[in-house]
Amino acid sequence: MSMAATDTPAQLRRAAERALELMRACGFEHAQASAVRVARAELNLNHNEPSLMRSTEVERLAITGVVDGRRASAELGELDDAAGLEARVAALHADALAAPQDKAHAVSASEHARVVHGPAEADLRLLADTVAELLALRARETPKMMLEEGLAAHARLEAHTLTTGGSDLACRLGWYEASVMGTARDGRRASSFNYTGGRTHELRGTPIAERFGIGAMLHDTERQIDARPIGAKFVGDVVLMPNAVADLVGWLLGQLGDAELIAGTSLYRERVGQLVASPLLNLKSRFDAPGVAAISPDAFATPPVDVLRDGRLATLLPSFYGSRKTGLAHVPTPGGGWEIAAGATARADVVHGVRRGALVGRLSMGHPSSNGDFSGLIKNSFSIENGEVAGALAETMISGNVAQMLKDVAAVSRERIDTGALCLPWIRIGGLHFS
Amino acid sequence: VTAIATPDGATAAAYAESRRHELRKSRLVMIDGSLTVSTSSVEGGVSERIYENGYWGFASAPTSDGATVARVRRQARDNARAMTRFGARPALRLPGGTYRGEHAYIGRTPLTPAECVDRMAALTGWCRTRYPALKSVQVMLQQEHHRKQLVTTDGSDVLNSIQRATCYVILVAESDDGAPVELWERLSGKGSLADLELSVEALAPRLERIHEHLQAKRRAVPAQGGQHTVVMGPDLAGILAHEAMGHPCEGDIVLGGAVTGDLVGQRVASELVTMVDYAHHHGADELMIPVYADDEGTPARDAVLIERGVLKEFMQSRETAARLGMAPTGSARAYAPGDEPLVRMRNTAILPGTSRLDDMIAGVDDGYLLLHTSNGQADSTTEFMFGINLGYEIKGGRLGRAIRDTTVSGSALKVLQSVDAVSGDMVWNCSGYCGKKQPMVVSMGGPAIRARAHLGGE
Repeated sequence: MSMAATDTPAQLRRAAERALELMRACGFEHAQASAVRVARAELNLNHNEPSLMRSTEVERLAITGVVDGRRASAELGELDDAAGLEARVAALHADALAAPQDKAHAVSASEHARVVHGPAEADLRLLADTVAELLALRARETPKMMLEEGLAAHARLEAHTLTTGGSDLACRLGWYEASVMGTARDGRRASSFNYTGGRTHELRGTPIAERFGIGAMLHDTERQIDARPIGAKFVGDVVLMPNAVADLVGWLLGQLGDAELIAGTSLYRERVGQLVASPLLNLKSRFDAPGVAAISPDAFATPPVDVLRDGRLATLLPSFYGSRKTGLAHVPTPGGGWEIAAGATARADVVHGVRRGALVGRLSMGHPSSNGDFSGLIKNSFSIENGEVAGALAETMISGNVAQMLKDVAAVSRERIDTGALCLPWIRIGGLHFS
Repeated sequence: VTAIATPDGATAAAYAESRRHELRKSRLVMIDGSLTVSTSSVEGGVSERIYENGYWGFASAPTSDGATVARVRRQARDNARAMTRFGARPALRLPGGTYRGEHAYIGRTPLTPAECVDRMAALTGWCRTRYPALKSVQVMLQQEHHRKQLVTTDGSDVLNSIQRATCYVILVAESDDGAPVELWERLSGKGSLADLELSVEALAPRLERIHEHLQAKRRAVPAQGGQHTVVMGPDLAGILAHEAMGHPCEGDIVLGGAVTGDLVGQRVASELVTMVDYAHHHGADELMIPVYADDEGTPARDAVLIERGVLKEFMQSRETAARLGMAPTGSARAYAPGDEPLVRMRNTAILPGTSRLDDMIAGVDDGYLLLHTSNGQADSTTEFMFGINLGYEIKGGRLGRAIRDTTVSGSALKVLQSVDAVSGDMVWNCSGYCGKKQPMVVSMGGPAIRARAHLGGE
C-alpha cells in the first residue's frame, strides 16, 4: 500500500531535515538521517496469571555522515533535543575525521519509498482478550503447562529517512504480537522450556491456538515431561520443525551478508548461480510481512528478492557499503522478512520417511563455525523410529555441517508456520551424527 | 540524571518506583583495516512502575520533563488499574528494604574515537605483519554506560552507574582444505575502553598464544561425541556457573517450574563446588558489574546458590521473594530505559579450590581440555549447553590434537556432582550479554574444573 507524503508525521520529517541541515553546515559531504518513533502497548502474563500492562515510547534519531571518504554514525534518543543534536553532529564530524579513509563510503541517492501497513492504533481490549484466551487454552487443554511468560502486544513504528543525495523514504507500520514461553511439570518432573510467537496484522478471526504454532507447542511440551536420552551413537535423519529451520536460514543469510563477504570468509562468495542446496529449497523475501518495511537501513527501497531457486544460489546480499567494498552487486534488504516455499510433501510423510532419527523442535547450540560445522543439543524433540514419532528426547546431541545440511534436504512439507518475519516449513535432512 | 520526586499515589499503590535511565553505547568494528562500523548511541528516558491491587503497571517515555513524568506516572497507574479486568486479586506484601546511596566507577579519561581507531589500526597492522598468512584480522571495541536514578515509595533513592568495555581480536586462517578457521582473544572490564590495556605491547603475548592455538586448530580433528572426562579451563567456569545453575536459580525461573524449586537443602553438586552470585564485591575487590541496590531499590546482597555442593537459595526480586517466601537478594534489574526490572544475575562464580590445572590434565587418561567458549543456553531442567571454539584432546595425561568447534552439554545436577577437581585460579570476564526477554550486562568467573560432560561430535 502506498501513502501520500503528508501521511508521514511532520515531526519525524522535520527532525530528519534538521539533522541533515546541521550535518551539511558542519562540513559533511554526504549524510543520512533517520527519525524513528515506536509506541508499544504490551499485556504480560507470568506464571499462568496476568501480571503487567506496559506502555512504552521510544524515539531515535540516527545520523550517518561522510567527509573526505571517512564515515561515522550516531543515534540520539530524542527527536526534539536541538542542543543535543547540534553537539552530537559536531562530535560526529570529529569522529568521522578520526576514521580511516575508505572510498566505499557513500549514501543512497534518489531512492523513494512510502510504506504503510498494519493497524495503526492498539485495541487494548483485544490484547486483554488474547491474554485471556491464552490462559483459558492452557487451563483447558494443557493444564500441566506453566506459562512462565507470555504477552499480547501492539506496536506502531513510524520512520522517515532522508539523505543528502535526495533519498526520501518513510514508513508507518502497525502490528500485533503474541508469544508464550513455558515448561510443563508433573510432580517433580519437568520438560525443557519451549516457546513460540509471532507478528500479525490481525489478531482477530483465528483462535490463538492456531496462531504461530502456539497450540501445538503447548501440547508437544506436555508430552516432553518424560524425556530420555537417545542412548546410542548413530548417523540418522532429522525433521526440523520451523523454529529449528530458522537457525539454518539465519546462518545462510549471515554467510551472504557484509561481514563474511568483506572478510572473505563466506563459503558462497563465488557460488552465485551454482547449486548450493537441495533443489527442494526455495528461499525468498517477504518484505511486506508484519513489522517489516521494504526499506533498508542504508536508505534503499528493497524490491523482492529470491535467494535460493530450486537450491541454486540466486544472489548474495551485500549492503551498499559492502557492495562498493567488494565489487559485488548491491542487493538491499531490510531487517527481516523471509520464507521458504512450501514443499510437495505432507508433514506426516516428511516424518514417515525417517527410519531412525528425531523430530527437532529447537536447536540449542553454539554458533556454527565459519565453515558451517556445528554441534548442539536438540531440545523439545522426539525420537523417530521406522517413520513413527516416539518418545521425547533429553540430553541428545547432533553434529554436522550447516552447508552440507542445506544440500541434504530430502523433503519439505506443504504445511508451514507463519510467524510474520519468517514463514517456514518442516524439512527432513539426512546424515546427522547423533550422540 | 537528576533526582525526581517520590512518586505520588503512594497511598493508592502498594509500591511504586520511578527511574531515570540513560544508556550510552559505542561500537567500532575494523575488518582488515577497514572501519566497517563506527557508531555511538544514547538512549534515555523516564519510567514508572506501580504495583496496585495485585497487578503491575509500567510506562516509559524518552523525555523527562515535568509534564512527561506526570503523564508517564498516570499511564503506569492506569495500566495497573486496567489489569483489574482480569478480576480482583490480593496484593502481595513486597519485601525488599530501603537503600540510599550513589555508586559510580571513576575510571580513566575515556578514549576519543580517534584514539580507539589508532589502537585498532595498530593491532591490525601488528597482526598483519607478524602473521602474514592470516586470511583476515578483525578488531571490535564496545563500551556501554548505564546510569540509573531510582526513587521508590519505600524510601529508596539510588544512583547506580555501571560501565563495562570489551575488546575482541579475531584471527582467521585457512585449514589445509581452504576452509576458514577462526579464534579470538577477548578483553573485558569495568569502566570504559580507556580502562582496558589495548596497546600492542600489552596484547602481543596473548595474541601470540592465540595464533599458536589457531595453527593447531587448522589441523583440528572432530571431537568424539558422547560422555567424556573434560577439564574446563578458567574461562569456562563462569559460563558453566551462569548457564548450568545460575538461570535455574533465578526466582522467576523457579516459579516457572524449574526443577531446582524442589531441591533447596539437597546435594546438587560435588562438595568441591560452591557457587555465588555476588552483588558487588569478591573479597576486597569491587566486581565488574557492581550492584549495591537493584532497580527496585532493594539493598543487594550476595546470593549463595550452592555451598559445598548443597543448594541454598535463589536470586530474587521483591515479587519472587514474596511468592517463594524467601529473602530478597536485590537481583531485579532493567536493561534499557523502557524495560521493567526482571530477576537477573550480577557476578556469578564458582569459587576456587586447591588443585593445579596441570595436575588436573595429568590425571586424565582419555578426555578433553576445553579452553574457550562462545554462547550458551540454560534450561529449566538444568540441562545446559555452551559452544566450545578451542579445545584439545587429552591422551594419557598429555595434551593431544586440537579439536574442531563443538558443544559441551549435560544436566547440571549430573555434571556438577561429577566434579572431582577445582583449581585455585579465579578468572572473571564481563564480555557477553545474558538474554532473557531483555539483554543484560553480567560478569562471570571461576577456576578450572574437571567433570564428566557430553561433547557433541562424530
